[in-house]
Amino acid sequence: MSSKTSSVALTEFRSNPLSIIGLVLVALCVGLAVFADLVAPYPAHVGPIGDFMAINQAPSAAHWFGTDTIGRDVLTRILYGFRLSLVMAAMVLAISMPIGVALGLMAGYLGGWVEFAIMRLTDVFLAIPPLVLAMAIMGFLPATLTNAMLAVTAMWWPWYTRLVYNVVRSEAREGYVLAAEVIGASPLHVMTREILPNCAPAILTKLTLDVGFVVLMVSSLSFLGLGVQPPTPDLGSMVADGAKYMPDAWWLSIFPALAIMVLVLGFNLLGDGLREAFDAEV
Amino acid sequence: MTRSISPGFLAGTSILAAALLPGLATAQERVLRLDESAVGEIDPAKGTDYADTVLAVNLYEPLVYPAQGEAGVQPWLASDWTIDGLTYEFTLRDGASFASGNPVTAGDVVWSFERLMAMGQGPASLFEGRVEGVEAVDDSTVRFTLTEPFAPFLSALVQLSVIDSTLAQEHLGEGPYGENGGYASDWISANSAGSGAYIIAEHDPQIETVLVPNPNYDGDPVDPAAPEQVTYRYSLEASTVRALMSRGEHDVTSQWLPPEVLKALNEEGGVHLETEPGGTGEYIMLNTRRAPLDDVNCRRALSLAYDYGTTLHLLTVTEGVAQGIPMSGPMPQGFYGSDPERRAPTQDMQAAQEALAECQYDPAEYPLDIAWIAEVPARERIALLMQATFSQLGFQVNVTRTPWALITQQVTDPETAPHAIEIAISARTPDPDSLAYNMFSSTLPPTWISSTYLADEEVDRLLEEGRSETDPEARAAIYDALSDRLRDLAPGIWAYEANPVYALRNGVSLPNLEQDDRRFAISGYGMLFKDAQIDG
Amino acid sequence: MSPILRLLIHRLALSLLVLAGVSILIFFVARVVPGDPARIALGPNAGAEAVEALREERHLNDPLIVQYGWFLRDLAGGDLGTSLYTRRPVLQDIAAYLPATLELVFIAGLMMVLVGLPLGRLAARHQRRGPDHLARFLSVLAVCTPAFVWGVILQLLLAYVWPIFPLEGRLSTGVAPPPDITGLYTVDALLTGQFGTMLNALYHLILPATALALSGIGQSARLTRSSMIETYRKPYIEMARAYGFKEGRIARRYAFRPALIPTLTVLGLDFAAMLANAFLVERVFVWPGLSRYGVEVILRKDLDAIVGVVLVIAAMFLITNLVVDLIVSIINPRLRLAEKRGK
Repeated sequence: MSSKTSSVALTEFRSNPLSIIGLVLVALCVGLAVFADLVAPYPAHVGPIGDFMAINQAPSAAHWFGTDTIGRDVLTRILYGFRLSLVMAAMVLAISMPIGVALGLMAGYLGGWVEFAIMRLTDVFLAIPPLVLAMAIMGFLPATLTNAMLAVTAMWWPWYTRLVYNVVRSEAREGYVLAAEVIGASPLHVMTREILPNCAPAILTKLTLDVGFVVLMVSSLSFLGLGVQPPTPDLGSMVADGAKYMPDAWWLSIFPALAIMVLVLGFNLLGDGLREAFDAEV
Repeated sequence: MTRSISPGFLAGTSILAAALLPGLATAQERVLRLDESAVGEIDPAKGTDYADTVLAVNLYEPLVYPAQGEAGVQPWLASDWTIDGLTYEFTLRDGASFASGNPVTAGDVVWSFERLMAMGQGPASLFEGRVEGVEAVDDSTVRFTLTEPFAPFLSALVQLSVIDSTLAQEHLGEGPYGENGGYASDWISANSAGSGAYIIAEHDPQIETVLVPNPNYDGDPVDPAAPEQVTYRYSLEASTVRALMSRGEHDVTSQWLPPEVLKALNEEGGVHLETEPGGTGEYIMLNTRRAPLDDVNCRRALSLAYDYGTTLHLLTVTEGVAQGIPMSGPMPQGFYGSDPERRAPTQDMQAAQEALAECQYDPAEYPLDIAWIAEVPARERIALLMQATFSQLGFQVNVTRTPWALITQQVTDPETAPHAIEIAISARTPDPDSLAYNMFSSTLPPTWISSTYLADEEVDRLLEEGRSETDPEARAAIYDALSDRLRDLAPGIWAYEANPVYALRNGVSLPNLEQDDRRFAISGYGMLFKDAQIDG
Repeated sequence: MSPILRLLIHRLALSLLVLAGVSILIFFVARVVPGDPARIALGPNAGAEAVEALREERHLNDPLIVQYGWFLRDLAGGDLGTSLYTRRPVLQDIAAYLPATLELVFIAGLMMVLVGLPLGRLAARHQRRGPDHLARFLSVLAVCTPAFVWGVILQLLLAYVWPIFPLEGRLSTGVAPPPDITGLYTVDALLTGQFGTMLNALYHLILPATALALSGIGQSARLTRSSMIETYRKPYIEMARAYGFKEGRIARRYAFRPALIPTLTVLGLDFAAMLANAFLVERVFVWPGLSRYGVEVILRKDLDAIVGVVLVIAAMFLITNLVVDLIVSIINPRLRLAEKRGK
């Protein structure tokens, strides 16, 4: 399976309008998250302090997206929600991806009982819907931000294991790998220096797509009351808590829901674009 | 949004809807549809919360019932009783019979009491260690002998539901109760065996309980417009109840809707708001065993800093209707120890700072954990309000949303229980003892009711005196002294008194919540479905 | 032995192995966490002796490995234990709530295939032109929105603002459920000839099933599109074009069919996600399925029930994938051969 050269990939990426839209959306979300302190109209509202005399107000010039049930500016909380979601996704992926990749490399390259053990373990995790296992784990741990991230991380690595395993299996018999083995390179060297770079496009694409899915997963946990705790501005809990006031105070959940959509959409379009450009199998 | 749609299309879709909804078009029965946030337990020996009380009073009858429009109790299954020192003798109502057709006998009362005490759950603690014996003198006379004077006994009997023992004994099942096996524990959790105005038609503790009239009922009169079917649904989302109400597919909301939702329903028309005050305090339970709140000055500082005014503002539904009323001390209105003359407390940050200066702990070093009950969204605001005000005193405040099931477990260990939780505590009988003793006696094990973990000799002494004194005036004085002592110790913040607000669909009325002379002193007992009125 | 049969037995054995792994995983996760299930089950007023007696009765004082032994012994007898919360056998609880969830998931799965595949085909035929971009954008949008958001939006628009669908529940009040045969109301009503009830049940299914299916529709559309585009590059399509076949016929006969295979495989994997998302959608539509039970037992640390629910869901997932494997190997003889050569 040959990857295209990066310049060809770049040209292909540029010619796809949806990929460009994705890139713009991602840049927008990341930018807003990074500069939330400067952009947010009421930075104090990120915490528990609100204005109890201005609760549940409809969108207005002072509060573009209205205020929530304790009088906090919804727009401000969405901007900080972007930051929290992106940080969480980055943490979950930063832990689960290396673990998954390492296990996938080992299973694919070493074979034998190592392969059997790792891949069956992967099957076990993949047989339980991620949300259900994350819920089960959250049932046993106190509902905090860290635990929610841990639960999702525990669910996420098998996908990378399976992805890398498949790539390795198809690469292991390629000439350059055999050549490296013949000149006496250690298995570690072959795995990390020869095979891993060829998995990179697939991993990169999957990472991009996964940012969106991790955000969805954490917000689903929050919706069930098992995720991030108030007053942390989490988009999923904002949707869930606001839904109780539907349809009268619609702005409480519709705007955060749109925010999740925009964020996930951006990363999905970008990931899709990368996949087509690299011709990567994910 | 509907403007762009042609009337013809709308008419078409509603015909389609009518064709697909055969049930709605032909419903001619009088049906009452209500909901509650908790899951329902229909075994009266296990029930503890509001929904359980509502189910128990409709399925079963106790010997006596809280009086209507005044304090005390009224005859119910017992038509008459005499009290002679430690002996209480009750005569059962003539011709009383269970839904099965079996007559209600003194033997049933004895069996129900023994079952309650053997199982040791629910209301059993009201009688624990106080009853020497209970015997059937003859078929219609039952005699209780107490171990020592116990003033709250008569009131406590409102919680003793009488079970059809002949029927229940056919379903004893296996269990640890000797010849009584499982005491029909499983069966009575799924079926009814009482003499109340309704019987169980269907029961799923996750989803709903359906009740239909008891054909053999002969107790307190039934309203001619009473429902022929009652559907009591569990754990509906607030937005679902809101939408069902405005579509006319629900009759009575639960008391746990946020004020905004009730307000929106009221403004939309089609509903009327009714309240059920009585016997329920909303307490911020302060953990007196955990630093810094083991120092009374720190507790006082929090009580003084608490924002009572904003709390009531947040609970306001419409002009004149709020989900809370001010509370001036530990006891709710109408109970001994409450003082209607006394002004309710207000926020005083300066006094709070002074009290804090007396406290041995530095607030900066002792973060406070505040939990709020996940099932009641409106309480998040109270928790966040506390976070905002207590932060001003210099405390770092962590707020955690905690499901009720988890709270009941956390509070059993004072070392790890949160510093403060808002909990609604209801008097379970029309006697102050049922509230005060369970909350503040140091002799009871730690539960959510006693989650201040107060251990004070003076309080314990007053609580014991209040139980054994039978003279009403002397009792009133004891509970006044108790209230004063508790105000000094500040084991809790008397945030407000609950004033549950229900939205009722127009055409449905619950006279027990609407007319002052028909109100009951404690919550849940007014939800007698036999008194509800439904228009054709 | 026929190759298909051999493949099936191989897959079945692997599935059982995976199921055993799931049971170990969830069993130990459930037991190592703090919190006394006996205390929670008996409620706040129960005495210490009662709690201890229950701990003893449920073997909660034994070492973990011994507890797992008890669990396996009961499992061998088809017993998943008793819920501490409902006091009923877990199997009985699951049997009571699972059919409602399955009915929802089946209808949603059907929607996924019936809407997603044609949408993907449309996009592939008009690759990189208007309909393609629109279809791709719509399908990405569908994938990107959590199922509970779809639920809330659909409920708000189609049951409240414009009330043409029921808000919640499986049947209208006053409509009696059909006799319990499979527990799926639509099927039971059909079997017993109660067409009114069946229509009513379907009517109630539309909104929640749509909310559940939307992200799957998006995903299956994307997959169909990319598999078809792959196929379009094959020489035999060029040949068909050279013979002058109409584009519609080429799309239908030559490009779409081969694209079905990878799509079906992924749909099988998606089943797991649907079961989990059903937890969210059921909450919005007050659907009396497994989700409320699942969430409740998780919050109450009801060990046997949690293990039971997760095991049953994992089993459903494995069974679905076995069925998908079977279908794929029947419609694609090449896969069968490849499987034979590969091993």
